[in-house]
Parts: sequence; structure tokens; C-alpha cells
Amino acid sequence: MELRVIEKTEEELRIEVAGEGHTFMNVLKGTLLENDDVAAATYDVNPEQSGGQTEPILSITTEGGADPLDVLEDAAGDVSRKTDELRSAFKAASA
Amino acid sequence: MADEFDVEYIRGDDREARILVRGLTPAFANGLRRAMIADVPTLSIDTLRVVENSSVMFDEMIGLRLGLVPLTTPDDFEYGDTVTLSLDVEGPDTAYSGDLESSDPDVNPADEDVPIIQLNENPSGENQRIELEAEAVLDDGKSHAKQSGGVAVGYRHLRKVSVVGDRGEFDEEETNILRGVIETEDGELVPTDEFDHDLTERYPGKELEVEDVPGAFVFHVETDGSMTVEELVLRGIDSIESRADELQEKVAV
Repeated sequence: MELRVIEKTEEELRIEVAGEGHTFMNVLKGTLLENDDVAAATYDVNPEQSGGQTEPILSITTEGGADPLDVLEDAAGDVSRKTDELRSAFKAASA
Repeated sequence: MADEFDVEYIRGDDREARILVRGLTPAFANGLRRAMIADVPTLSIDTLRVVENSSVMFDEMIGLRLGLVPLTTPDDFEYGDTVTLSLDVEGPDTAYSGDLESSDPDVNPADEDVPIIQLNENPSGENQRIELEAEAVLDDGKSHAKQSGGVAVGYRHLRKVSVVGDRGEFDEEETNILRGVIETEDGELVPTDEFDHDLTERYPGKELEVEDVPGAFVFHVETDGSMTVEELVLRGIDSIESRADELQEKVAV
């Protein structure tokens, strides 16, 4: 996973997340949208054959003065927390 | 945003299971499904060193067939790690996946009875024979479908069926087909194959209401035998978590 910031203002962020696909980006986007500080979050991926920009680009717009990079960091933490809980739920069910 | 996950195995064994998960978002459910198919690595034969092949198939065809044999995959392998297996069978006989001899006791064909090729006696009298060494490599389903541990992984919403009244006296009795798992009014979980996927078999003469239960997904997970269903799910979750952790770490810098 290689990150490259394309555009960054106080409330907007466009960042390339190289090496990822829909699997992770959609989970991340879904988690970002659960955050009240996030006004908009989306990602765009182009197929490999299309040439040009084929790595996913994540766009975040925040409101209420939150820094988009902080929001992204929190979202990654949230995903990690959820997977952790999900794992224990699975282990509990199969035990 | 407090997530309460609740997992329940509805039925299943090591190879195939139906699992109800409550508290998931659609994005998360799909991420997990995709991770199980494409991101959980398994071992598969990828290169061959053919010593002798007097069978009726080209080396390449044998290679393709061997690649598709599922191998049990312990969790202590890294991407690119290899295991050597050998095959030595002389006709008249059929070479099966069970004839593969592995150099690692933890890595073996998941099924012993996958036919690889039938070896006969040639008209000239000598027996057809196959002898080779194969390298299995750990990789994921993104590179080749043979590396995918999940062969049939999907999910449906859990659906709640409630009786709202009796069917009109002169209404035509029509089949009401539904596939998946239903939740009855008393909270019982019933796979639809128990009543032939037809709600009128279970609730004859009733008028029903069927609705999705929000956040409740019934996963159907079937593996190729490289690992158990539980392992596959857990490794799928690990795969998403490792990426989230990596992202968090990189953003924090």
C-alpha cells in the first residue's frame, strides 16, 4: 500500500491508495461515511486496461473543521476495531 | 457507531457452511466476501520439472491439471514460499492427486481422488509413465483462480417472514419461492431447503409478509479444502485488518 497525496486543503483530501482495490476501498469509504465530520467520501478506480490512473483515488470532504487526514486515520482505526470485534464474534460462535 | 456483531453457524461442516452475521454494513459484508475469494492466499502447483511424460497429454496440460488440485495450506507460509511435491506413476494405472508426495507433512492434496491422467499400455508394449517434480507456490486469487481458497462464497440478507392473515378464500394458490434463510416470527432460523424453498409449503393458506432484516447477512462459504471454513473467514478478516492497520500507520506518519 503506497499513499500519495494529490490534493490537500483544510477540508478536502484527494489521496491515491496504490495497490488496493474495491475490497478495501469500499469498506474504508463505508466506514468514513459513518463519521459525522465527513461531508462526503468516495473513491474512484479505473480498470487496468484503461491506462492512465488505474490506482484508486480516495476523496474526502469534511465539515466542522476536522482535518481530513485525521479523519482518514480514525476511519482506518475503526475498520481495524471492527475486524477485531468480528473476529472475536466468529471465534465465540465456533467455540 | 458501537457495532454489536453476532455470529451464528446455521449449519455446516469444515468445507461448507451457512453463517449468520448480524451488525454488518453492506460494505463490510462485501469486503469480507471479496477478501475470502481473492485475498486469502493458498498453495497451488505452479511449475513442473518433468522427468518423464509418456502419457497422452502434453506437459502443459498435466501442469494445468496439477495446478487445480487444492492443497492444504497452513497459516505459517509467506507469499512466494514454495513446497515441492513429486509424482511418479506407471501405467496401466490412473494417476490421482493422492499419488502426489509432498516434502512438507502439513501440505497435502485436500482430496485424494482427483484424477490427473489415465496411463495405459502403448501398442508397442511399454507402459505410459509419468514422473515429475512440482513446485507449489503461495499466492492469492487475484493472480489465478487456482490460488483461491473459497470456491463458492456469497451472502444473502436474512429475511423475516411474518403471517399477516389468511389467504383469500378464492385466491389461486401460487408458489412463493424464496432462497436462503428465513427468520420466523418466534425468531427461529430456518434454511429454505427445509420446505423446498416454497413458503406455501411451510405456511399453507396464509398471507405472508417478507422483509429483509437490516444488517443481517447469511454467508454461504464453501472452500476447496485448502483450509476449513472457519480458517477462511478468519484469514479474510485478517486480510482486511492488516490493510487497515497499514493505512493507519502510514497516515499517522
